[in-house]
Amino acid sequence: MFSRSFKYHRPRGLLCCSGSCPNCMMTVDGTPNVRVCAEPVREGADLTPQNVLGSLEHDLLAVTDKIGGPFTPVGFYYRTMIRPRRAWPLYEKFLRNAAGLGRIDPHAERSDRYDTEHRHAEVLVVGGGTAGREAAGRYAADGKHVVLVEENPYLEIDEGDFEVLRGRALGIWEGGLVPVDAGNVLYRYRTEQIVVATGAIEQPLVFPGNDLVGVMLPEAVRRLVDDWAIRPGERAVVVTVDENGREAAARLKGIGVEIGGVYDLRRERIREIVARGRKGVLRSVELDGRRIDCDLLVMSGGRQPAYSLLAQAGARVEYVPESGAFLPTEIPEGIEAVGSVAGEGLSAAIPAATYNGASGKGKCFVCVCEDVTDKDLKRAIAEGFDSLELAKRYTTVTMGPCQGRLCHVPSIRVYARENESDPGTIGTTTARPPWGPVTLGVLAGRPHEPAQRSSIHHRHKELGGRMMWTGTWRRPHSYGDVEAEVQAVHGAVGLIDVSTLGKLLVVGPEAADFLERLYPNRFGDMKAGRIRYGVLNTDAGRIMDDGTIARLSDDAYYVTTTSTGAGAVVEWFEWWNAVWGLDVQIADITGALAAVNVAGPRARELMTRLTDLDVSNEAISYLDARQGKIAGVPSLVLRIGFVGELGYELHFPSPYGEFVWDTILERGEDLGIRPFGLEPQRILRLEKMHILVGQDTDSESNLIEANMPWIVKFDKDDFVGKWALEHVRARGPREQLVGFEMEDGRMPPEGGQVVIKERRPVGRITSARWSPELRKVIGMAWVPTELARDGAEFFVTIDGGFDKAHVRLTPFFDPEGERLRS
Amino acid sequence: MKDIFRVRRMWRPRGELKRRYDVVIVGAGSHGLSTAYYLAKNHGITDVAVLDKSYIGSGAAGRNTTIIRANYRTPQGAEFYSASVKLYEGLAADLDFNLLFSQQGHLTLAHSDRGIITANERAEVNRLLGIDSRVIYPDEIAKLCPEMNLSEEVTWPVMAALYHPPGGIIRHDAVVWGYARGADRGGVEIHPYTEVTGIERSNGRVRGVQTTRGDIECDTVISCTAGWSTLVADLADVPLPITTHILQAFVTEPVKPFLDVIIVSSQMHIYVSQTDRGEFLIGAEIEPYTTYKGIGTFPFLEYSAKHTLELFPQLERAKILRSWTGLCDLSPDYSPILGVTEVDGFLVSCGWGTYGFKAAPIVGTTLAELVATKQTPPLIAPFALERFYKDELVSELAAAAVSH
Repeated sequence: MFSRSFKYHRPRGLLCCSGSCPNCMMTVDGTPNVRVCAEPVREGADLTPQNVLGSLEHDLLAVTDKIGGPFTPVGFYYRTMIRPRRAWPLYEKFLRNAAGLGRIDPHAERSDRYDTEHRHAEVLVVGGGTAGREAAGRYAADGKHVVLVEENPYLEIDEGDFEVLRGRALGIWEGGLVPVDAGNVLYRYRTEQIVVATGAIEQPLVFPGNDLVGVMLPEAVRRLVDDWAIRPGERAVVVTVDENGREAAARLKGIGVEIGGVYDLRRERIREIVARGRKGVLRSVELDGRRIDCDLLVMSGGRQPAYSLLAQAGARVEYVPESGAFLPTEIPEGIEAVGSVAGEGLSAAIPAATYNGASGKGKCFVCVCEDVTDKDLKRAIAEGFDSLELAKRYTTVTMGPCQGRLCHVPSIRVYARENESDPGTIGTTTARPPWGPVTLGVLAGRPHEPAQRSSIHHRHKELGGRMMWTGTWRRPHSYGDVEAEVQAVHGAVGLIDVSTLGKLLVVGPEAADFLERLYPNRFGDMKAGRIRYGVLNTDAGRIMDDGTIARLSDDAYYVTTTSTGAGAVVEWFEWWNAVWGLDVQIADITGALAAVNVAGPRARELMTRLTDLDVSNEAISYLDARQGKIAGVPSLVLRIGFVGELGYELHFPSPYGEFVWDTILERGEDLGIRPFGLEPQRILRLEKMHILVGQDTDSESNLIEANMPWIVKFDKDDFVGKWALEHVRARGPREQLVGFEMEDGRMPPEGGQVVIKERRPVGRITSARWSPELRKVIGMAWVPTELARDGAEFFVTIDGGFDKAHVRLTPFFDPEGERLRS
Repeated sequence: MKDIFRVRRMWRPRGELKRRYDVVIVGAGSHGLSTAYYLAKNHGITDVAVLDKSYIGSGAAGRNTTIIRANYRTPQGAEFYSASVKLYEGLAADLDFNLLFSQQGHLTLAHSDRGIITANERAEVNRLLGIDSRVIYPDEIAKLCPEMNLSEEVTWPVMAALYHPPGGIIRHDAVVWGYARGADRGGVEIHPYTEVTGIERSNGRVRGVQTTRGDIECDTVISCTAGWSTLVADLADVPLPITTHILQAFVTEPVKPFLDVIIVSSQMHIYVSQTDRGEFLIGAEIEPYTTYKGIGTFPFLEYSAKHTLELFPQLERAKILRSWTGLCDLSPDYSPILGVTEVDGFLVSCGWGTYGFKAAPIVGTTLAELVATKQTPPLIAPFALERFYKDELVSELAAAAVSH
């Protein structure tokens, strides 16, 4: 006895002994549902039986087998426990406690190491039986590089001219991808030719007691006797519909097992088979009432080709009445089926008409995984679940761990008998990958999620930066004192690492045209050395990303994007470049360059200590771009002001990141320089009402309603999203992005809702911060257009209450932008 | 209870098609059958045929990951789905069929500041509309789901979550069967394996349908065909702004239950729940390419496994049992398209993307009302096809990087 069954907790012993059925599933070293018959023995392995309350021999839940039958017919749970409604959670708790097979330690950590390898071979043969080995040999003789995959670790295969890989082919996916689970390594094979030699699976017969411990399939006998030299019983009876049963009888006789009889159902007119036992273990079998004592009953219901891989790859499956089995046809190109999976050597396996399968009393199992009996299936049909797919969902037959290997054909046979049709008209259910169970660990490979760090990362940590995630980047939230960092930018000078910005070079004779088409504003008329703000739109006129565009020369532009949007913008540029076919080259140099922003009233003074460039307001005025050396490092200097003060954004090769950072801090020390993090930057930009794309905008925001209509040049021939923005202009704005300040200074949540009178949301808060400079809570919000006027009032949800806010349309700080331009 | 001892047919065997019905519903999934059920039950309209090219519940209704929730971002969406959840709560009693509705609670994880803002937004909208949702942080998440990896030392740490206690999972096939039985007992005819091949019109209105089993006259055709909705609408020459994509999911072998809450992570592109059978049910985001071919991909299994283990490392040795795909009809704003079209008498329920199943009861109720009264119920007015011509989108897109 190895386990207890899913529903009735009946004792289960070896049935197939070839890794298909659920009967030998145990928890091995913490891994649940291991088919121990196919698991190599390890010294000290910890084996625990599953689905047992108490011990394996005395399972307390076995009571469900005694009393459960009449009360728990198929689908009983759909018909009971409906009223009263409030009692259902209790029933459910009971059901959940009874559910499941093995147990996973909820606190286990990842322990094993898994790898993925991409491999190629000219021919991949799946299955190392006779036909598979022959095919492998044949292709190898033709000089092909052949790999043969075999999942039975004990099957001996001579490694001759081909490679043998021990593992399980999980399926055939598009492009001929065959992943092979080889324990801790997943091999992803791509080949020219796939040979499927997965053989056939022996099918059980359906009769009362067919799940008793001691009832086996012929292959189990073969493996026990030939591979393991184990005597499976003392006195055996064989009932069979093919030659396999007879072979098993001969094999058993050869090792001295007494044979109580061999009954070939193709010839013998037997109506009724009943296996009887005590405590779940076989004692005898009755054939039409004639009792034969035995402790081993070999049943053979014919063999069914294991066609799943072929069906997944696109082959059709057809019933062949002569062999009583389903065979694959219309096999796709590049795939070949050989051996018994293709129907070779399958003997006719149709029992004589007198044998009608299940009969008499006692449970006849069609599906041992899910404890589905023939009665369950017949009842399902009588209730109207008359197609196989419906019955599968209703009874759960074929949905258990064996995935139909041992129950698909028997259930089709029951169906055909009940509907008085032949199995061919019943059809099959879809073969779903994977072909065998595979652990999440093998599929996942090594735990690995990429993270990005700027070249100045370690300086931030040394300076006490509190790191936070922004997308895949780690950035400093602040260096411990948000307010002081804000004040440093307003009062002296601050330094922030902005290396995470996306950076693109757009170069070529048609670069200007390219950007004109992508952005709603103009870039063709820009002089070299100037900068413009740009917002990218989708085809539907929705805001996608923003950044600055500096013209470096007639045919070269330097484009920055948001930190988290860089990847999408690069794809966007490349997509449109392919569509338009302009003479433009795009280079993503995000990682190649580091960038810092020096900002504050004393920034210019600091710049004079760093560079030979003339940094006077006349020489580099607001929105100018210059190239020169900063601290001796070739750099691009962009005069822009996201944080609202005089500022210079310096872009330079990232290997100099720490050097430039250090030099700036050192030379600015007496000016009161402070590094500032992302949080102070967010406060500073909010004071200026500079938007953060993705925070203040969402997938429906457009430039007109986001209060940036000035950036949209409708007189341009065309640009991405033009028609949509024209539509918005024609219908007029419905909602608008505005600033607001809180009346009583409480902080609303970002994502808080704007309401007017009724308790119904009409807008939403996108940003909110306490401004130490202004001494109040400020923010940005989407409000209905009628509220988009200075001083308009609305309410904001805070903790289930409502606080009053006032609309502000101009920047909270330096509304005229004098400090930016100073 | 008495039904467990006696065998009673769920529905009549498929009969002959009549030549005429008042209403023909295309698609015997959760939407089609629920519409038929409420037509009969609420409005006494029983001259109805539900046609399907395959068995009942063979499409999205039998392939979804069975999550029911109302924590939507837009007020329109939240009100609509909230009405649906309420109907679901009483549905087992209404249909006298246990749907195994497990309202175990639903957590949408936030792994970034932006994620927290979206969670706040949904919580605030929900709260204003009387829907139970709130934002919780790792200390409280740990109490609800102690098994999840809440370490800060991962690329996407769990920073907060939108907690929606009424959210749950249900037995999806049971919903289909319960509605089918109810509709059948109400007098509606269900015709599986009957494919619609044409929609007859004259003077801009529907006159009938052609099927593989003969032609039918009717005044009203309702298409509830999810992934195939554009193909069916084409038969009536109604263009829909919909693209069809595959969505994939898988289950593990059953193990003893330990996860009693539904976990959704848009950043990780996965959602995880554990069924009453003990299987872990894991789904992903839709594939970006369009197709009607329901064939899964291996990379889906790989990245879903990778992301699942980021959140649940203890599932390292859990085994995948089977995977499957379904077709999703995606609209531009991730909200459905529901109700009348420019062809009189041709109604649609489509554009559901990955959240159609959770709307089945409310779709049935409102569409039945629309057919009976010829008035669009206010609850579904925002989802009219017309909105794409007027640019009045109902954007769930911002909240739905992953859609469950």
